[in-house]
Amino acid sequence: MARVFTRLHERVSDGGLGRYLPLYSRLDEKHQYAYKLLFPALAMMFVVHFIPVVWGATISVMGVNSNYIADWTSAPFVGLEHYAFVMDPTTTIGSRYWYSISRTVLWSVGVLVGTYVLGLTAALILNQGFKGSFLVRTLLLLPWIAPAIVTLNVWRMMFLSESGIINHALMSVGLLDEPVFWLLGDRALWSMTIAHVWLQFPWVMIMLYAGLQSIPQQLYEAAAIDGAGRWGKFRYVTLPQLKPVSGVVVLLMLLWTMIDFTTPYVMFGGSPPSSVEVTMVYIYNFSFRAFAFGRGAAMSVGLFVVAMVLATIYYRRFIRSDFEEDDQ
Amino acid sequence: MMPDEWALSEATTDRLFALASKGLLLTILIWALFPIYWMVFNSLRTRFEIVGGDPSFTEISFHYQNYIDMWSRVDLIEYFMNSLIIASVTTAIALCIACLGGYAFSRYRFPGRRYVGASLIGTQLIPGILILLPMFMLFRTFHDTVGLQLINTYQGIIFVYTTFAVPFAIWMLRGFFDTIPASLEEAARVDGCTRFQALVRIVLPLAAPGIAATGMFVFLVAFNEVLFASVMARGDVTPLSIGIQQFMERDQNYWGEMMAASTVATVPILLLFVLFQKPIVKGLTEGGVKQ
Repeated sequence: MARVFTRLHERVSDGGLGRYLPLYSRLDEKHQYAYKLLFPALAMMFVVHFIPVVWGATISVMGVNSNYIADWTSAPFVGLEHYAFVMDPTTTIGSRYWYSISRTVLWSVGVLVGTYVLGLTAALILNQGFKGSFLVRTLLLLPWIAPAIVTLNVWRMMFLSESGIINHALMSVGLLDEPVFWLLGDRALWSMTIAHVWLQFPWVMIMLYAGLQSIPQQLYEAAAIDGAGRWGKFRYVTLPQLKPVSGVVVLLMLLWTMIDFTTPYVMFGGSPPSSVEVTMVYIYNFSFRAFAFGRGAAMSVGLFVVAMVLATIYYRRFIRSDFEEDDQ
Repeated sequence: MMPDEWALSEATTDRLFALASKGLLLTILIWALFPIYWMVFNSLRTRFEIVGGDPSFTEISFHYQNYIDMWSRVDLIEYFMNSLIIASVTTAIALCIACLGGYAFSRYRFPGRRYVGASLIGTQLIPGILILLPMFMLFRTFHDTVGLQLINTYQGIIFVYTTFAVPFAIWMLRGFFDTIPASLEEAARVDGCTRFQALVRIVLPLAAPGIAATGMFVFLVAFNEVLFASVMARGDVTPLSIGIQQFMERDQNYWGEMMAASTVATVPILLLFVLFQKPIVKGLTEGGVKQ
């Protein structure tokens, strides 16, 4: 490990390229060093994130289809035509695109609420600290540790209508009279939400638990002196103190769910019911079946913009202060 | 009301509250563990027991044949090996890169830091589907111009996964490095260490739990990815995430064998986790979060 590091470091630190970059050479030595350390990460992000995003945006304004896939540069420039087309709710494709966005929002919010409520509940109880709480914490992490690509198939099996354990259990306690199709129609979205909450709540739990652990005990003592009960302590100490962690957890959970592909793909495969056709799945099927890459790219940019707008509003409102304090 | 009556009732509510919360936690725990139990349980049942005309939920005939048949039904061993190679190499490389980046982020207030931070978060909101086709084209361009084969190869998919994991890994590690006092490195510098030696010899060993937790995270990202794998890791490098779906055929689902394969895939990861649970759980709960 150390040798890999040394080698990586040598590569980066000879600073050959840096001399030719005016902004970089104006930095003092310490800050140049910081950029050297960040160089491999930034370079990779440039190749894998930046170039393809720009490229994708370019494709979205070109008429790329199966004819031009080998030589996309010669595809005609079509301006915002694709955007107008895919966002026009009067066409089939446009209305399905909007529908998929509404499903995505519903799914993300459902997952967010589910993971947060469960994660916070578990974290609060674990935080009381009892004998064996380390063991419970470890066991509660297992849904997150076990590979999603296999556990999602287990959920799929449990949701089967005739032979699934969930219908069987609900019927045997009298909550259902006859088997329900969990993986078809509108209910499929709830099944997918439940499975995804199961996958992700341990992460939320452990983040919130870490936040709870760092709340100074004196705050609770002070609240007790002021006459706060259990609820008062939670309302006026725990929740405000958790705000920075919650801000990050909520943002990431929302974004990760919006752009998640693994859960719908593993649970529903290539032809999902329309209720779980979230935008990622819809674009995937649309692009690769119709070979309409230009339109697919326009849809993807649309999803990116939705995510970015949400994230920017949220970031300004809840998180930015954290970074700004750092910069002082 | 008498004061000691008050005291009594408070003690009682406390006890009731503790009891209720333990009960709630137990419910969550059962819910969390049941699917894993169900996976192992069903891997030892016959097809008939799982989805037969009258499926049973308790009968088990310890049908270990599933564990034998699964290897011949699909190229399981190949998928396993591919997934392990891809995920482990990704973890190793991403950790090296993210340690450097996270350290820079934690220790230096360099100009442009806020923009670098924002772009780290920004990468988390790029939908994979937006960059999938451009990545594919870019890799083909690499192949045509410099002869570098990246599509359907280990190096290509590892490169992509590493970059996917690095931004969040940097963010996580930065939190862990923040908890290590900078005075330790300063002391090492006074003793003649270079900056880099101080990082490798002083900071990294202290951040070991955080690095383990981050490594777990990276490993899972790489192990569970399906979107890019479905397009850029086919043929000889098909990972388990794609390959395991072959137990689902158009006319028949081999649930028993699939659960057996799932168990075999899960057990080593759970073992690894249990083996390193102390540092991982410690890392996840003690650093990571910037207050």
